[in-house]
Amino acid sequence: MTADGLEVRQSSAAVWGSSTELRNLKVVSKYIDTSTCIGCKACEVACQEWNDLHVVPTLQVGTYQTMPDLDANYWNLIKFREVEADGKFLWLLRKDGCMHCADPGCLKACPAPGAIVQYQNGIVDVNPEACIGCKMCVTGCPFDVPKYSAATDKMAKCTLCVDRVQVGLEPACVKSCPTGCLQFGDKSDMVALGNARVAQLAKSGFAQAALYDPPGVGGTTVITVLAHGDHPEWYGLPKDPRVPGTVRFWKSVLRPLAALTIAASFFAMVGHYLSFGPKTPKDDEETGAGPV
Amino acid sequence: MTRIALSDGPRGGMGDEAVARARSSDDFVVGEEIVRERLSARIVHWAVALTFFVCLFTGLPIWTPYLGFLANLFGGLHVCRLLHPWSGVAFVVASVLMFAQWVSQMTLTRADREFLTPRGMVRYFGYRNDDREVGKYNGGQKLLFWAAAAGTLGLLASGLVMWFPLAFAQWLREASYLLHDVAFSLFFAMIIGHIYLGTAAEPGTFRSMVRGTVTTKWARLHHPRWYREVTSRQAKTEP
Repeated sequence: MTADGLEVRQSSAAVWGSSTELRNLKVVSKYIDTSTCIGCKACEVACQEWNDLHVVPTLQVGTYQTMPDLDANYWNLIKFREVEADGKFLWLLRKDGCMHCADPGCLKACPAPGAIVQYQNGIVDVNPEACIGCKMCVTGCPFDVPKYSAATDKMAKCTLCVDRVQVGLEPACVKSCPTGCLQFGDKSDMVALGNARVAQLAKSGFAQAALYDPPGVGGTTVITVLAHGDHPEWYGLPKDPRVPGTVRFWKSVLRPLAALTIAASFFAMVGHYLSFGPKTPKDDEETGAGPV
Repeated sequence: MTRIALSDGPRGGMGDEAVARARSSDDFVVGEEIVRERLSARIVHWAVALTFFVCLFTGLPIWTPYLGFLANLFGGLHVCRLLHPWSGVAFVVASVLMFAQWVSQMTLTRADREFLTPRGMVRYFGYRNDDREVGKYNGGQKLLFWAAAAGTLGLLASGLVMWFPLAFAQWLREASYLLHDVAFSLFFAMIIGHIYLGTAAEPGTFRSMVRGTVTTKWARLHHPRWYREVTSRQAKTEP
């Protein structure tokens, strides 16, 4: 299901020479303004419709939220959060889904070649045919986005409607948004839009407003305007998301060290045989005392 | 060149008798041979070895794409991902049986501890060791036994977390991926040494795990105390 027309920047479990990056395509971006989201869930429906996803049994959690968490069959979920802070009650809505990190932890952790692919335009896509269902991406993702489907034994998540984007359309969720809180375009344009909105919010009494584009994961293709930008955790976002250090260490330090250990053992034995040869009994030995 | 140990040693009626008697017991002399490992011990050992290599060859292509070609032995990476945890379960079961059958013989003696010092290991690998006090298993074999037991535990614990990651906390999953890599690479490095010492380096050893017997000459050279014990006991009971 990978998008053939797009060039690959990096793919999971890649061997040398997997990037096909030749042209200089612009990085795209989805802009989410949480301050103008009205929680209508049109984006949820559009996502289900366009991607032809199954209906998922929901669970009433005492809010307007469709279900407690994202699902392998539900890639776009408005999180309705109730927060009490500084004697104020806040009702915060945020469209949750894949952030399409520039430095994707899921891709880093994935052991199946080509199961997770990052295109040159920044979209992080999943190739279900290559996915082996090991769930390592779950540990690699700082946003808890990849969801496992027991029915297919594979991971699934938002593709940023790569099939629409590669033919010049915006993602289905953006197309359906009635308030304009979702926008799609080049990343530079979306960042400019975000900064303008943040300035506007600051003037309206939200001095802490900020654009969420966390540098710990190299920035994200999905950027989010937060009125309370100093508290992303109020929206269910990590404050400083990073690909887990252990995952980096595992793939880039431990794995080469382990390979060296195995190779060293092999060559030590070869070296030993060449230097000492086999240990054989001496013909005249009758004492049972072992070699001299 | 190393000969495959299966083919050396005495032939004829003597050999057949040794094989027959090695089905049910060990530690006795038959002609020029000593029965070293009874049939059940050999079966358990090869069950461990077989499941170890299934685990290894299904795990390596998941570990690194550079060994992805190994997945073709089984029908692809998806099959490896399915086989690996189950062969891991089989490996643990076989390892538990192996632990039970040998644990009573694996207590480290003072001589074994000396054998395992850096000086002792250098002398052993340089064929300059004084083996007079080496019993049925030397210090290195006993160390392998305990290291394999510890390694199997580590692989099992981390493997279970990796098999059902959604049931465990993030830090436990991260730790398990690291532990599984460390344990498997050390285990594999150790098994390379084990195979080398059991075949090329010490001719006549491999047959103890196939035919079940070794030559008396081999026993005198590698395990002299065991040789003395077995022969003297037999001299007493069979005058």
